[in-house]
Amino acid sequence: MLSRIRTVPKTLALACLAALALGSQAAHAARLKVGITLHPYYSFVANIVGDRADVIPLIDADANPHGYAPQSADMIRIMSMDVLVVNGIGHDTWAFEILDAAGMRKKLVLIYANDGVSLIPVAGAPAGEKVVNPHTFISTTAAIQQVYTIARRLGEIDKANATFYRDNARKYALNIRKLRAEFDTRIAGADLSKFRCATMHSGYDYILQELGLQVTAVIEPRHGVEPTARQLAETIDRIKAAKVNVLFAEKYFASKLSDTIRQATGVRMYSISHISSGKYTPEKFIDEMRENLTTLATAINDTARGGA
Amino acid sequence: MTTAAIQQVRPAGARYEGIALGLATILVAGLLWLYVRELGQGDTREPLYDWQVSAFNALTGADQAIYNALFTAKDDVPYLYEDINMFTPDNAKFRWPSLEDFQDALLPPFYRDKSWEQNGSLQWTLYEPLAEGEMQGSTMYLGTDGRQPQQGSFLLVIGHVHAGFRNTNSMVIWWNKKNHVVMPQSGFRDGLILQGWREVVPYSGAQEVKRIFGKDTSKAEDQEQAEQAINGLFGDK
Repeated sequence: MLSRIRTVPKTLALACLAALALGSQAAHAARLKVGITLHPYYSFVANIVGDRADVIPLIDADANPHGYAPQSADMIRIMSMDVLVVNGIGHDTWAFEILDAAGMRKKLVLIYANDGVSLIPVAGAPAGEKVVNPHTFISTTAAIQQVYTIARRLGEIDKANATFYRDNARKYALNIRKLRAEFDTRIAGADLSKFRCATMHSGYDYILQELGLQVTAVIEPRHGVEPTARQLAETIDRIKAAKVNVLFAEKYFASKLSDTIRQATGVRMYSISHISSGKYTPEKFIDEMRENLTTLATAINDTARGGA
Repeated sequence: MTTAAIQQVRPAGARYEGIALGLATILVAGLLWLYVRELGQGDTREPLYDWQVSAFNALTGADQAIYNALFTAKDDVPYLYEDINMFTPDNAKFRWPSLEDFQDALLPPFYRDKSWEQNGSLQWTLYEPLAEGEMQGSTMYLGTDGRQPQQGSFLLVIGHVHAGFRNTNSMVIWWNKKNHVVMPQSGFRDGLILQGWREVVPYSGAQEVKRIFGKDTSKAEDQEQAEQAINGLFGDK
């Protein structure tokens, strides 16, 4: 008898657990699973969907998205997604290989984050050459445009949460704009007339243009392609002639080339994050853009004080 | 003394090999040309009317930065309009965001920060029609008198469907190469063109995707199928 009495609560508990599990499964089934290809898109989507959808990175956090070679684990991940947010304009071409290899073309809705972005050409390119710059995510305004596009498309798919996504997108956009206000405070009173910059690659064109800072020269002729000896010599001459005093290099992908240029020209070097490495977190984009803007403010203030 | 006898021996199929090699070369070159053409490796120049100007190819420096900020502001302006008029009674006049509202929202290119200064300190003014039908129902934000060399002026024209003259709401960005202009008398396209305004056309991510993939992927058959499948799960809530 005693054993039967002991069994009843156990059975009840198990039944409750089973019911909870079923309920959780049902709730899970209704949650949108949104895949992303690059770190900034993780932050964008996580801030848009909040706790109402799952965000799934397509590739491992420590993988370098430049020239990435797809892995079998990527195919398993892509098969669990309902939607995939892509850069689509040259920074995640490997995502389409994974998509095809997994046979998901007809099953996965693609959101092209850059659909509504007004693109700019790579700065510092030879005269007349207009090459599209795909680094729209290292920015504030172009980033906000992508946040709005993603939120709108997610709202079209998950109609029940459309207003929630839109409101979150707006709050997040304001937080991105606040970064610019912080930056403005840091450079208050600085004289920008002496500021002349070059960049190792074209990754920072959007943010520099948004801040009203023009790029005099870009060292790499193409993203990820080192210049030839002749191209390098010409660039060094251009840097000297234009009195460039600041060189922005990549924080995560160090290059000996930047040291060579620094030694040859005397420019002061600063590192900017490409926001493409490390753990995927909702805060990553804002945190790293804040760091980038702090670095830019330091470079501007150093130049204004005559330190560079 | 003996003379070395050199005899050239031609392979039996020499003639055919030469022809075959030539044909193969033409075939490879042709295939390469087709590959490049079909994959959309064209340039980024879109066909434009003479009253339009490309943001990507024609605008530079500060003007390009201002245009891109305005392009994103086109999304924010209606959101702010909704916020401002949320509690406005139906019989009262709804208003469009003022330049002070843009300061509160930190919205470029209107927000007066260091970047605004760097991009020429454009002076913005707002024209709101006082009554239905006035100014062809257009609200206009004019940015002019920039301090950068050769800087132009900008006009954001918001056409309202409710005010008549238009069948749809629209937001169009215009650029004038003149540094100083006054608020136009009309938001109508033809009038603006006569006064030297050019509609600015972006080179968008959607166009670049089309260039890379050779087709409009948003209308691709596979995507339509994927959308139908997902609509069954989330679309009918």
